[in-house]
Amino acid sequence: MNQFKAYFLILALGLVSPMAFAQSADEIIEGYLEATGGRDAWSKVENIVISAKVNQGGMEIPLEIMQSKDGKSYTKVSVQGLSLMQGVYDGNTLWSTNFQTMKPEKATSEDLENHKKTLGDFPDSFLNYKKNGYTVEMVGKEAFDGTEAHKIKMTKKPLMVDGAEVENVEFYFFDVETMILLGSESEMKAGPMKGKTAQSKMSEYDEVDGLYFPFSMSQGEKGGFSQAIAIDKIELNKAYDEKMLMYPDAKAPTSAPSTAPTSAPTTAPTTAPSGGK
Amino acid sequence: MKQLLLLSTLLFFSLPADIFAQEPIILKGKELFGDMSARQIGPGLMSGRISDLEGHPTNNRIVYAGTAGGGVWKSSNGGSSFEPIFDDYIQSIGKVCVDPHDPDNTIYVGTGEIWTRNSTSIGDGLYKTNDGGQNWTKLPFEGSERISNIIVHPKDQNTLYVGELGALWGDSETRGVFKSTDGGQTWNKIFYVDQKTGCSDLIMDPNNPNILYASMWEFRRTGWSFNSGGENSGLFKSTDGGKTWNELRNGFPKGKLGRIAIAVAPSDSKIIYSVIESEDSDQNGLYKSTDSGANWKKLNGDFGLVVRPFYFSRIVVDPQNPDVLVKAGLFGSVSRDGGQTFKDAGFMHADIHDIHFDNKDSDRMYFATDGGVYRTWDGATTMDIVENIPVSQFYHITLDDAEPYNIYGGLQDNGSWWGPSSSPGGVEARDWNRVGYGDGFRVLKHSTKPILYSEMQGAENVWRYDIERNQQKTIQPLAVKGDPKLRFNWNAPITLSPNKPDRIYIGSQFLHMSDDMGDTWKIISKDLTTNNPKKQDQENSGGLSKDNSGAENHCTIFTIAESSLDENIIWVGTDDGNVQVTKNGGKSWSEVGKNMSGMPANTWCYHIEASVHDKGTAYAVFDGHTSNDKNPYTYKTTDYGKTWTSIITEDVQGFTRCIQEDLVNPDLLFLGTETGLYITVNGGNNWSKFTNNMPSTAVHHLEMHAKTNDIVMATHGRGVIILDDVSPLRELTQEVLAQDVYFFKSKPFTMVEESGFGGGSTELQFVGPNKNPNAAIVYYLKKRHIFGKMKIELFDESGNFVKELSAGKSKGINIVNWDYLMTSPKMAKGKTFTFGGFTAPRASAGKYKVVMTKGKVTYESELVIDYDKSSLLTAADRKRHKEVTKKLFDMSEDLAYQVYQMDEMIKMGTKLSSENAEAKPMLDKILPKLTELKESSVITTGDNYVGQAEPELREKLATLYAKVASGFVPPSPSEMDNLKLIEEQFNTIKNDLKAIKTGDWDKLMKMISKEGQASPKLMDKKAFLETTP
Repeated sequence: MNQFKAYFLILALGLVSPMAFAQSADEIIEGYLEATGGRDAWSKVENIVISAKVNQGGMEIPLEIMQSKDGKSYTKVSVQGLSLMQGVYDGNTLWSTNFQTMKPEKATSEDLENHKKTLGDFPDSFLNYKKNGYTVEMVGKEAFDGTEAHKIKMTKKPLMVDGAEVENVEFYFFDVETMILLGSESEMKAGPMKGKTAQSKMSEYDEVDGLYFPFSMSQGEKGGFSQAIAIDKIELNKAYDEKMLMYPDAKAPTSAPSTAPTSAPTTAPTTAPSGGK
Repeated sequence: MKQLLLLSTLLFFSLPADIFAQEPIILKGKELFGDMSARQIGPGLMSGRISDLEGHPTNNRIVYAGTAGGGVWKSSNGGSSFEPIFDDYIQSIGKVCVDPHDPDNTIYVGTGEIWTRNSTSIGDGLYKTNDGGQNWTKLPFEGSERISNIIVHPKDQNTLYVGELGALWGDSETRGVFKSTDGGQTWNKIFYVDQKTGCSDLIMDPNNPNILYASMWEFRRTGWSFNSGGENSGLFKSTDGGKTWNELRNGFPKGKLGRIAIAVAPSDSKIIYSVIESEDSDQNGLYKSTDSGANWKKLNGDFGLVVRPFYFSRIVVDPQNPDVLVKAGLFGSVSRDGGQTFKDAGFMHADIHDIHFDNKDSDRMYFATDGGVYRTWDGATTMDIVENIPVSQFYHITLDDAEPYNIYGGLQDNGSWWGPSSSPGGVEARDWNRVGYGDGFRVLKHSTKPILYSEMQGAENVWRYDIERNQQKTIQPLAVKGDPKLRFNWNAPITLSPNKPDRIYIGSQFLHMSDDMGDTWKIISKDLTTNNPKKQDQENSGGLSKDNSGAENHCTIFTIAESSLDENIIWVGTDDGNVQVTKNGGKSWSEVGKNMSGMPANTWCYHIEASVHDKGTAYAVFDGHTSNDKNPYTYKTTDYGKTWTSIITEDVQGFTRCIQEDLVNPDLLFLGTETGLYITVNGGNNWSKFTNNMPSTAVHHLEMHAKTNDIVMATHGRGVIILDDVSPLRELTQEVLAQDVYFFKSKPFTMVEESGFGGGSTELQFVGPNKNPNAAIVYYLKKRHIFGKMKIELFDESGNFVKELSAGKSKGINIVNWDYLMTSPKMAKGKTFTFGGFTAPRASAGKYKVVMTKGKVTYESELVIDYDKSSLLTAADRKRHKEVTKKLFDMSEDLAYQVYQMDEMIKMGTKLSSENAEAKPMLDKILPKLTELKESSVITTGDNYVGQAEPELREKLATLYAKVASGFVPPSPSEMDNLKLIEEQFNTIKNDLKAIKTGDWDKLMKMISKEGQASPKLMDKKAFLETTP
């Protein structure tokens, strides 16, 4: 169950953006954008649809993750033929399926506001970081996962956590040889793991329509549990059904329920959920 | 992209060049150790010494705890829980300072504890973070050892003041008050007394930043004595930002002064409190000035105010009320009448070093003790320990051969304990058992009997404890006629013979041996120390305040090692630098330490390791820090000490304490230093610091567990830290390092047959992680895998695909785990989940082929898994378990297919019914039947919690499947009866569906086909099962 929780925590952190390169922070960023397909090509991406799998115990869970230039997003998790929608943003409402009732529930106003601040990160936090009001800073060279990397600090728009404003900083690691993004780290600012460091790792880069994406990621707590995500397919600029993003009427039956579950019963309880009622 | 391809090409061509290069491949730290990660198991129930507490100027959720040996911990939830934020640097903390100009991000850490007990560690300077502790920079503040305070000027962020106490064990010019006006890049020493006198406290007037108070303290420790006080101690004041200083003395006792605590009342800065140690103990106590230090009056000399000034010189005044103050001390003393009278603080661990008041609510306070951080919500009446700061300070560690093995050791001021290396639900506080009081040191488990030995404070008590009878007896050697006074070290060595289970050794200045578990002792050596009388005057140790705790006992034996290859070979090392060896069971001894070149005389021999590979081989580790020598010293002999070779290189930072020789590969060595763990794979030609989840904490002792190949460390600040299974390191040679991919050998893995309930700790209690019970595929990658596919697949002996695992791609050592599980069944789709369907069947024991596909190249290896040897199952039982599991698995998938057909037929039929008037009457007959079938196959209403519907066939089947598949026993008769019932129901449903399909449905299909409409297609079962779940 903890694994499952951790995984959704990771989803809540959002997809970490792709890659980088060079000496000053800006040189590295430009090098990275160039190495992964070029600024122009990145700018032309309207949406990204990722088909992926996570493995928990013996369960293989398919995911479909969509993010678009106009800020919309969803993650569809398929379990036993049912689709659970997570982190769905239709332009107004941020919602997810509750795992117990299978009905949609809205994220908190704070989460929604925080989510809106990340919309400019598409398709990559580095592409328009100046326009987004972010700042970057070269921290230096550091071994990331055993490999020498340029470490860049990016300060994004501050987040609101429990009514207080907190800084939103992410550290990115770029391979010194190839300028490819190897991973990122940040301090978790909310929830029960607050204060611990979240870490993402990327590998298996491959080309999709002239752009390079990591097809393998792992996300979790630095030095602790992390969840591998294997990507089968990445599609760019794909038509999708906008209706599935709309916050449904909770009273109506829905096969696409959701919400960042903090107590989702999962990973193979041997019988029924064993929690007391 | 072009650039990218070019780079890839370059990378490709660079590979062969590496292989043929002449230079040896030397990988360091994370480059080499990759996924190998240390496991910190605490414990948290006896936390450790906290040296400093700090808050945040406006956010009372934020609290920092600086510790004596466990780094800096931050709470962002009002002290409910803490996280470490300073793991990569020296862990002994003097002071944490939050910059008031940028309190969320800018924090300074001054290293080096200022509570100068004998076992205190050392600091190495001043650090700064600009991002709340995620990254730290060491400031150029050279020569520093102990920082007592850091003050940021309230009007200028770049102006800093630092109080430097300085070196404890020797002279130093880096002492006094320092000032920087450029944010710490350059420093001026603005107040200095002499090489012996440091600044023990520095305070700024909260209303006037030009006013500073500095208490200067003359102090010194040696291995055998302590001195507090002298002509140069005193309290000084500057009113010009530190340019000039004047001593404040009006009203203080005459003569020499010792350590002086000071505090200015934040709400009325004319009021200053000071606790004075002086030549005349009757004059010691609390002094108060109400005129900014011009005049002083003694108010109180209670025990709580004057006890052990070197350890407790701190006063903290309530930020709101100048009359409320708390003095650190044995129990902590609280005054609410401006210092006239005091009462003890509420019950908590003894030895309080610092206090922090919540700046919004003075009833809420935090206490730094020798046993962790305590919180109070009622003004220090009721105390509550923080249970997740595992900063216990172990002195020593031993292991047993239980499965999982247990760990035994003693702690600074927190007794002696034993606990498991793994436990259901993790290693919890309740898993630890006490086996001694006071300062605990060495704890040893008898190799064949349920007996433990443990010891406290200079062998004051040596207990022999019968675990089964819960009965203890003290067995320390007693003086007999003709014996001189026995001198035991504070951390007296006790060792068991690896050859004779009942034999035990204890060292005083002599080596004592008992062959009957401590009932009878005989001395088997002469005085093996230098027996220097100048180092034996502990009665007069302490300086102005006598402090003869026993902690300074010297000219004693400190380490004893009997060779496991020959009981007559015994090595002894002493705290005054002797290395003695006997080859005849103690009849004669040779001092062989003199044969080491470059080893300063009389340096503390901290540990001797007798080789398990060769009788004449031993390692001797020396710690010179008590002579103010912080260099590492470790020597190896192969000829019983006639000659020695230093195995230290420039890689090793900080003084050394202990070494462990690998039990298989003599060139693999593990070295414990004051700043962490170092490993060599080539006998000491070069060393690499191990930093994966391993803080830079002092490693006082370490052991290797023979069965598991784990390295277990006694850290003096972060509890027990385990490096699980280091056997891959045995294979690291130049040939291996030159390969692109290398699979390490592995022993067969055991599928442990356990399924308990786990722990009972609360959210805020520390729980140490367990050893990973899964199978591990361990390999070395010369380079990180960045581009293109990489996967690991398992195949059984018949070549059938079993499972794909996510590959590790790090440069260095990768560890890919397999939890022995296959894939869970595809389940019928219902309205809700069926939890039983999440269960995956376990793999069978046997040999598996491991295939790594890395781009276009494949690499192969092998993995063997075994059943649990303690299992009661027969081969026939296992066969039956497997068969029934398989049957239930197949039934679940079959039901999924049946339900899929029903769903499709209902969907098609509904559509057809609305479009085709002729078909409608037939469908009016078929559809209700299909719906009824579906409703008895799976849940079609309700939710996943209390709104759940009554279970249908899918749910019943899944429940039985999970019960059988996840169990370790064959299905019971009752389960088989249940299966029979389910099978009957399932057959009915299948037959009913078949009847519809071959009957009415078939007619319908024929009819629409005649009309020229294409009949809708259903997937066959194979195709259905291959679609995503």
